[in-house]
Amino acid sequence: MKLFNRLVFVTMIFSIFVAACASAPAATTAAQPTAKPFKVGLLVSGPVKDQGWNQTAYDAFVTIQKELGAKFSYLELGQDQAAYQKAFRDYGSQGYNMVLGHGNEFQDSAVAVAKDFPNTYFFISSSRYNGPKEGHPNVIGLNTDSSQPYYLFGVIAAMMGKSAGIVGGMNIPPISETYTGFINGVRSVNPNFPVTTTYIGNFTDITAAKEAAQSMVSQGVDVILPNADNAGNGVYQLLTENTKLIGFGTYRPPAQKDDFSICPKTCVANYVLDYGSALIDLAKQIQAGTFKPTGNIEYGVKDKTVMYITYNENAATPVPANVRQAVDNAISAISSGKVNTLAGNPLTKN
Amino acid sequence: MDVAVILAFVSGILAATWRMATPLIYASVGEVFAERSGVINLGLEGIMLVGAFNAYTAAFYSGSLWLGLLAALFTGVLLGLLFAFFTVTIKANQIVVGTAFNLAGSGISGFLFESIFLKSNYSSLGIPTFNDLSFPFLTKIPYLGDILFHYNILVYITVLLVPLASFVLYKTAFGLAVRSVGAHPKAADTMGISVSRMRYICVVIGSVLTALGGATLTLAFANQFVEDMTSGRGFIALAAVVFGGWTPWGATAASLLFGVFYALQLRVQAMNSVLLPYQFLQVLPYVATVLALISVRHRAGSPKALGVPYRS
Amino acid sequence: MRAVTEISNNHEFSMRIRKVLQGTLMPFIAILIALAIGAVILIAANFNPLQAYQAMYLGAFADFSSFTEVLLDATPLICIGVGLAVAFRCGIWNIGGEGQFYAGAVTGTAIALYAPALPGWILLPLVLVGGAAGGALWAMLAGYLKTRFGANEVVTTVMLNYVAIIATSYLVSGPMIEPRGTYPQTAQIPDGARLPLIMPPTRLNLGFIIALLLAVGLYLLIFKSSTGYAIRAVGINPEAAHYAGIQVKKNILLAMAISGGAAGLGGAMQIAGVTYRLFQQISPGFGFTAIAVSLLVNNNPLGIILAGILFGGLSTGARLMQMNAGVPAVLVNVIQGLVILSVVAFGAYRILTMEREE
Repeated sequence: MKLFNRLVFVTMIFSIFVAACASAPAATTAAQPTAKPFKVGLLVSGPVKDQGWNQTAYDAFVTIQKELGAKFSYLELGQDQAAYQKAFRDYGSQGYNMVLGHGNEFQDSAVAVAKDFPNTYFFISSSRYNGPKEGHPNVIGLNTDSSQPYYLFGVIAAMMGKSAGIVGGMNIPPISETYTGFINGVRSVNPNFPVTTTYIGNFTDITAAKEAAQSMVSQGVDVILPNADNAGNGVYQLLTENTKLIGFGTYRPPAQKDDFSICPKTCVANYVLDYGSALIDLAKQIQAGTFKPTGNIEYGVKDKTVMYITYNENAATPVPANVRQAVDNAISAISSGKVNTLAGNPLTKN
Repeated sequence: MDVAVILAFVSGILAATWRMATPLIYASVGEVFAERSGVINLGLEGIMLVGAFNAYTAAFYSGSLWLGLLAALFTGVLLGLLFAFFTVTIKANQIVVGTAFNLAGSGISGFLFESIFLKSNYSSLGIPTFNDLSFPFLTKIPYLGDILFHYNILVYITVLLVPLASFVLYKTAFGLAVRSVGAHPKAADTMGISVSRMRYICVVIGSVLTALGGATLTLAFANQFVEDMTSGRGFIALAAVVFGGWTPWGATAASLLFGVFYALQLRVQAMNSVLLPYQFLQVLPYVATVLALISVRHRAGSPKALGVPYRS
Repeated sequence: MRAVTEISNNHEFSMRIRKVLQGTLMPFIAILIALAIGAVILIAANFNPLQAYQAMYLGAFADFSSFTEVLLDATPLICIGVGLAVAFRCGIWNIGGEGQFYAGAVTGTAIALYAPALPGWILLPLVLVGGAAGGALWAMLAGYLKTRFGANEVVTTVMLNYVAIIATSYLVSGPMIEPRGTYPQTAQIPDGARLPLIMPPTRLNLGFIIALLLAVGLYLLIFKSSTGYAIRAVGINPEAAHYAGIQVKKNILLAMAISGGAAGLGGAMQIAGVTYRLFQQISPGFGFTAIAVSLLVNNNPLGIILAGILFGGLSTGARLMQMNAGVPAVLVNVIQGLVILSVVAFGAYRILTMEREE
């Protein structure tokens, strides 16, 4: 056995050597200096082209690359939080100007390295981290308050349906907050309107998501919506098969078109989250040197270019005018701060 | 609760049970053959993923679900031959090879999905799926119609598959040969049965059925591939084989049991009156499997030569 | 491979030389083959394999600080791997390294957070020992079910993986949630419970050294102690071991305890040395990769150190490959799988050719 160990060791030395030879010429080409480009980096914890959460950011960065002539690279890190810090450090030491950790799970790691790279702005999605206040002026939490559009969905659901259900991935704030928003919206119309919720426990099991939706429908639910990333497609599949239901779409331009193709008859309204336009705006400010952070940034329905609702005129039952009026009223109430869509969420004690 | 509500609840669970169990039934019944011949295939999860991916890819580009199924079948044959080559011909440790299959299977399906589908801008990644068959009258029977007559063809195939598998294993010369190479390979060898050939065949049967089980996910339940969408079903199927005492009916029963608990937890979660944290419900199928395993002890036990490469 | 060592003593010098050469070249060729097949896949998917591999290599070995990240990645793989080696040597297919890692992480975190204020030199060892104990108990549950009820350990350990992961999910979003109660994660553990960094500013910490010591310790245990002899005897043939007067059930439980203890220690060290808090997906599948790591070197704890570093290097490198060459990092799973297949193929080939030469 000792023999075998030695062999493995020799092998490793060999492979390191070979790899070193292979890499030697390229190292010189990589080091060619250019006129200090604007560099942006993205860290995601899943596939970048997931047609969902990650792709929102990815597409925005591609736009930044094209429109601002920036150098862009991204990194899919999986759930391995241990690797995040190294990733931030790599970006920082390579002089990146703007790095986005796309998800709250990146927050600790960004905070840990931020001091060493004062010229890099570290943004964290789904985070309310107030860097300037916490002594890390270059770490900025960005949050899109999705409980607000889900509140609007709740208003529509309660006015158009009999019973509603949400199929979620895992009990994490971006998901549970939408549950709260939806329920608050429903209650604002009809306090006795039934809402059922389920978590399938992951974001990949599309079959389980569909099964969860089906079980809700057989218990009388007629308004149903997913919030489970990839797995949510299972719910849309049911919405396509069963045209008596009412559903809602979530669209993240520019990768996705606001066209209701995922459930053309049953999805009556879309929540459009153009998080990308917010990111592009930030990149422009940083490039121009006008970005002066004062705290974390919170996007909501008040930011009408970032977060808005569209209606499906070709739905089996389009949203009636009085409901749209109610939605508009809700939007102004939320924007003015009269309504707190997150009220009562056990996970967000502010 | 009145009777109608209870009936609806039960029938809803039972209807979901069979659907949730279908991929498990395919994989576990196939694995019964492999294990009965003496080969444990820990790589079910990887094979299932590649089966799901290839079925989806073929269906996506050809537009035909049957071609998708055919692709899964070929995938199963190919991966089965590969697995058998490693475990039977060159007698490598079966658990090692299975682990490698899981790693490589999850990697290759995810890698190709990202490189082929996600990098190109297809407007939709969805494919049509096998529709539920509709039976005259039967589908309309209250409750019973939901429980028995509301599935797609791939679910109904299990009705034929299980008795067929059981028949082959217990009532044919082939089945006898399978069981003998798994229990007493040396004796089987002296009787003129080729241990390697039998194991090759059985591993391929297992792999094909597992790949088809994967195909049910993309062609019948979900309408698209998602990375790691099997979410552990390969491991559950492996557990179902052991739990089912290495018989097709037992494995099926174990798969259904798992399905029942899964369906139950989804249902109970959706009931507002239950205020348990959802994890308590989620953990039910796994705890139930362990409890069931210790409460039903198998007298038969595992095939004697399971996991042992045969050297003549 | 056991055959190799057993017969090697009786062979002539020239045979030894030949074997060394064969043995040196073959794992090396095996890795090259894996990379070559990976290259074919890369080309098929329209990537430049040279660029991809170069990026991968740089990610792992570009400079010393990158290499420390490799060692950081290797630490949990080594811990779980050497533990699994003990179980596998005992003939127990413990697939539950993942769950035992979680169990260790949970108990370690709980001690770090809720133990009364203790000085670091007590608290840290307590966290590590507690983590090991948590993992050991979790593994012994499967061992107990096997020895008491004959429950197959492949099934129980797979199920207990799910139970541990779901339990962690519950704990971090319920009872153990951070005080501000926003995210499903615990508070950060106090400084006294953290493993000291050994090469600041890199994140390499004492955990890696402990993992090395653990590997050496378990190597001695398996191959140089009577306990190890008994465990291996049970693994080779439980019935024969029984007739030789070895307590089979006791040794199975012991092997599971060691196995789970090592994994649990790995979990606690991940908290104490890397993440400083517990959250839902504390492991990206270390427990499953570690199965491969251990089996790759025929369950030899010293070999596991190298295999762990190799696999850690592959995943660390893959991340930079994705960053700089745009190649999806999941490719690394394919390469790891292929490395295993090539190595076992060559190992088996070696045994076969030697059998022929006998």
